[in-house]
Amino acid sequence: MDKKKIARVTSFRYQILAMIFIVLAGGLVLLPKYQKHEGIKSEVLLSNAISPERYISTDQIANKIINQEPSFILIDVRDKESFKKYSLPNAINIPLAKLLNEESLPYLNQSQFDVVFFSNDNFYADQAWVLCRRLGFKNLRVLNGGLNKWFTTIINPEMPNEDMPKEAFALYSTRKASSMYFGVEYPDQVMTEDLNVNKPAPKQVITVQKKKKKPVEGGC
Amino acid sequence: MKELEKVKRISIATTLFILAILIGVLTFERPKNIYANNTKNTLENLISKDYLISLNEIDNPQVELIDVRSEYEYDKGHLVNALNISSAGILNEENQSILNEFKESNKTIVLYGKDPQEANIPFMMLYQLGFDNIKLLAAEINYLQNKLVTNQSNIEKPAGDIKAFINESQKNSKVTITEQKVEPAPKKVITVQKKKKKPVEGGC
Repeated sequence: MDKKKIARVTSFRYQILAMIFIVLAGGLVLLPKYQKHEGIKSEVLLSNAISPERYISTDQIANKIINQEPSFILIDVRDKESFKKYSLPNAINIPLAKLLNEESLPYLNQSQFDVVFFSNDNFYADQAWVLCRRLGFKNLRVLNGGLNKWFTTIINPEMPNEDMPKEAFALYSTRKASSMYFGVEYPDQVMTEDLNVNKPAPKQVITVQKKKKKPVEGGC
Repeated sequence: MKELEKVKRISIATTLFILAILIGVLTFERPKNIYANNTKNTLENLISKDYLISLNEIDNPQVELIDVRSEYEYDKGHLVNALNISSAGILNEENQSILNEFKESNKTIVLYGKDPQEANIPFMMLYQLGFDNIKLLAAEINYLQNKLVTNQSNIEKPAGDIKAFINESQKNSKVTITEQKVEPAPKKVITVQKKKKKPVEGGC
């Protein structure tokens, strides 16, 4: 009886062996990924990092803010105090130290918005960019020159010299206009504002319905 | 006879199996430039560690200067004893072996570019690849009458207080408002004459 059983089992021995191999192979798939190799390849990361495409200029971002484009979020990677003191409108503060915390990831790891990092210049912002890009996050940008450039180009634009081309003046006037949007006021701006004040309120158009002259009623 | 055929089949299977493993091992290419630090470690070290080095500290035989600018700029002028490895070529086999040599001989690798921002990317890359002995030179390189000048650079130092600037501008413009205050023009009162309803005319 026992012999019969053994014989039956041994007749399946090849199938059993094969099964063991298949199970072992399946186990390979489940092996944990090696922690330190997380993220995209170093070569890809480097080529992404040195391409200038990842930068966005202060003029572009000012334009986007003014037009209220909903397609991007601003991430301020400076510390809390500097953020409280001044930051770009609607920016979110994620200090560099807290970049990889659980609660910051929903902002960074999504495909709906462009993420624009900025700091005082682009040093910390670049570091944040490299770390996030390595983790495979998409649509990451860095504000070129950071808040310092923001200050010198948008908030306090330099007046072009007389011998500069027309484009420089056009750029200056757009920058000046955008700085007004961000709260800067100019003495010469007040004049125009006053003019605005003195302007009579736009005439309200009251449409008086003219009564149609009815043919005189009655009569015999 | 049947048993013999089975044995034959098994031996074919085993040779194929061994062959497959052999081919796999032989063609396996070890990935190059593997990260040695994960992002969390890197970030912690970026915050806690002092990776910046100032100009007066580089005059040391233990320091190896690496110029990460392009070859053209390097030829134009560079710091004494600096080696040129541009940012784009930092992962090349050749350059990696040079850097590994420095690492093995316990030298401090100091990266510099035209400003610290330029050297930041190669610094981050090499740091993540496990070069713990790497530092960043906090200096800017300028040319003054074709002579190379290095200046200490203040990284992430705010150029100005933007908030104060905006407030100041608003204050200034308010001062001018009081000077130029113009009496508001008297409101014009427009009286709309209501038409008196005329009784419907006619009728008997």
